[in-house]
Amino acid sequence: MSKMITEQNLRLLIDTLVKEGARVVGPRQAGAMTLYEPLTKGDDLVLDQLPRRSAKEAFFPVCETILSFERKEGKTTVQDVDVCTVPETVLIGARPCDAAAPGILDAVFSWDYKDEFFLERRRRTTIIGLACTKADDACFCTAVGLSPAEMKGADLFLTPLEGGGYACEAPTEKGERLMARHPQLFDDAGNAKPLPLAEPAVEKLDLQKIKAWLDGNFESPLWYGIADRCAGCGACAFLCPACHCFDINDEGTADKGERRKHWDACGFGKFTNHASGHNPRDIQNKRYRNRIMHKFKYYDDKFGQTLCTGCGRCIRHCPVGIDIYAVIEEINKMGARDQGPGTGKD
Amino acid sequence: MHETKEKHDFEPKIVAFVCTWCTYAGADLAGTSRLHYPSNVRVLKFPCTGRIDPVFILRAFQRGADGVLVSGCHPGDCHYMAGNLHARRRFAAFRGLLDFVGVDLNRLQFSWVSAAEGGKWVEVVTDLTERIRAMGPMEEFKALETEECWSGELNSPELQEAYNNI
Amino acid sequence: MNSTAQKLETSTPIDTSCYADVTDAIRKEAARILADGTVTAVVGYKAGRRAGTTMPAIVTDPAEAGGLIFSPACVNNLALYLTKAKKDVVKKGRIAIVAKGCDMRALAGLMGESQIKREEIFIIGVVCAGVKGSGAVNSEPLTTGNLARKCRECTVRTPEGADLVAGTMPSLPELTPVEALEMARLEAMTPAERWAFWKEQFSRCVRCMACRQVCPFCYCEQCLCDKNRPQAVESTPRPAGNMAWHIVRAMHLAGRCAGCAECERVCPMEIPLNLLNRKMALEMKELYGFEAGLAPQEKGPLSSYKEDDDQSFIK
Repeated sequence: MSKMITEQNLRLLIDTLVKEGARVVGPRQAGAMTLYEPLTKGDDLVLDQLPRRSAKEAFFPVCETILSFERKEGKTTVQDVDVCTVPETVLIGARPCDAAAPGILDAVFSWDYKDEFFLERRRRTTIIGLACTKADDACFCTAVGLSPAEMKGADLFLTPLEGGGYACEAPTEKGERLMARHPQLFDDAGNAKPLPLAEPAVEKLDLQKIKAWLDGNFESPLWYGIADRCAGCGACAFLCPACHCFDINDEGTADKGERRKHWDACGFGKFTNHASGHNPRDIQNKRYRNRIMHKFKYYDDKFGQTLCTGCGRCIRHCPVGIDIYAVIEEINKMGARDQGPGTGKD
Repeated sequence: MHETKEKHDFEPKIVAFVCTWCTYAGADLAGTSRLHYPSNVRVLKFPCTGRIDPVFILRAFQRGADGVLVSGCHPGDCHYMAGNLHARRRFAAFRGLLDFVGVDLNRLQFSWVSAAEGGKWVEVVTDLTERIRAMGPMEEFKALETEECWSGELNSPELQEAYNNI
Repeated sequence: MNSTAQKLETSTPIDTSCYADVTDAIRKEAARILADGTVTAVVGYKAGRRAGTTMPAIVTDPAEAGGLIFSPACVNNLALYLTKAKKDVVKKGRIAIVAKGCDMRALAGLMGESQIKREEIFIIGVVCAGVKGSGAVNSEPLTTGNLARKCRECTVRTPEGADLVAGTMPSLPELTPVEALEMARLEAMTPAERWAFWKEQFSRCVRCMACRQVCPFCYCEQCLCDKNRPQAVESTPRPAGNMAWHIVRAMHLAGRCAGCAECERVCPMEIPLNLLNRKMALEMKELYGFEAGLAPQEKGPLSSYKEDDDQSFIK
């Protein structure tokens, strides 16, 4: 029997989870925008817009301490962080583009090195996804193989219904457990129809063709025209649900301090700067090329997945109007024409 | 130097950034003249007040200073002709900025103390120490040091409190 | 970052008919100076894929000059592309730049700091009735409601000192100086309230460095805040380092910032950064009678001094 949850019960679910001691993270008003933040009560949840930053920070914090050190009387002690103290978390209201990303990142965080900071948060988090009834001109999830109704990555998935409430589906056991723990909050689904979902107004792109073009065009003149305007900030990478580069810094004094892991971005000029002073990605075009290559080629080569979920955040907030969809659409066309190197125009 | 010290509940930490030519010599003179001044002040010597970057002051507060003193040569006495005059402008601007972000300017003192003014050094340091003592510890920057963004926190006391209140 | 004042104001359309003339003039001039070899490149704006958006463009072929536009979405300060921070972009030779009045101020500042030479650039000045602010919908026309904050108090709608000024200025409706009101609101607070305000704002910062990267005056090859040995400012995006970074940024721009407010526009976390710059500009004016960007000046207020400067704060 399929289930549904009313708007009121959804908020009650948050209250209940919070009372049980779980950390509930969801979109919450922060000034003029919303951000995924811990909610203290059901009424904090704001679902009418895509949060400015992606939900990745529930698993991959902006900055976290990974060890601390102290020197006393000439002896240095190092203390590891106990990841077992990560709270049980429910991520609620994640859009398909945000819900799908952590699953894509599992591959890299459990590859040659198991990143327990990420993986423990993944194990302890249940994701409640939400279908999209609104899209804007920057959304392009359908172009990269997702959709406003995509359940990938969600443990529980909500689809808004006509006349209020949400249809609930539990694609994973985690989601089923969550529903089973609070049966009184879920009703049997009646005949209510789902609200029409929002299809972004973009073409579906052939990701294999794009990858094939990228395979053979590392030195294409396309790169030298496309990102001249790139200012070299990290806005795209930091808002992106799938970008996962980080830097590690020791901070504090020689006597006491912490080792911290924090977001980094391939757009930064210092990202690949060697200690010798040599920088293999010495100009911005090469850095932007890496962004595209990593998302649509390298990650596919290694893990068979694309590192972009089409949320459109980098398009909306690029200071200089760089449009990743326009770039891959152009590559898609060139791949289709199979003409090799591009024209240097975008 | 060996008198018994009055006991206080709070001994402020004060960092003094001084130029080597005037104020440092002035502080030295205070010492050789056996004048007493509070031991709360930690003196850091620079070639010139012109070398004292506002970021040093910021760093001092971040690392736990309750008050900061910047002191150098009187106008006209700079060993490098005009280092102190450049510093004067820089610190006037920096004061305005700190005030705008909400730092109480009473915690920050600028002074001119010459090599001959051992007495003035004692007066400046004593006044500042007493003022800061009355104000209590500087909590703002120290509190920031311990804060994390929510996702980087393993356990949040504030959140726990909010849970308890539901 | 809409303040109450902006919300209360009824939205009236702004006459943007001049933008079409400006676009025409830019295209003609760009084609002419590229064709006759006056310049090797034109830095201007062209339309983005999404309707109502634009992006900076560097045009070197006269045949492409027809793609240049000017519209209320031309928000960028293109002076950025003339600094050494972007030296891998613009090739050698004389470069033309499309500049609004506010962008001209940055050009004047950069000339004062010997970063560009007047004879090496060709300025296509544009009259500007204003550009869109944060949160404006791409498809909406320009109104008093979605106008950028800086444009509400603009004093340089018709640029001076350009090689060519395109367009004529329409008359504008009354505009509420939203940012000035916000400044006054902050100034009236107690220090503790101001600290709380900024602490909250900076806590959102993720250190994407967009504010630094788009600033025409942040052209240092090595930023103090990127150094970790010694580390003056924590590079981690934590509240402590964020506060220090924004204080240092404002301090380094004091007496230099020409007020284009690009830092605030690009901030993905919508931190009202221009308030800090504006505060420093006010200080410079009050203390030293200095205003940045009016004309190229060799010495800024913090790289010069007078014998009788105020020292009432020094004991």
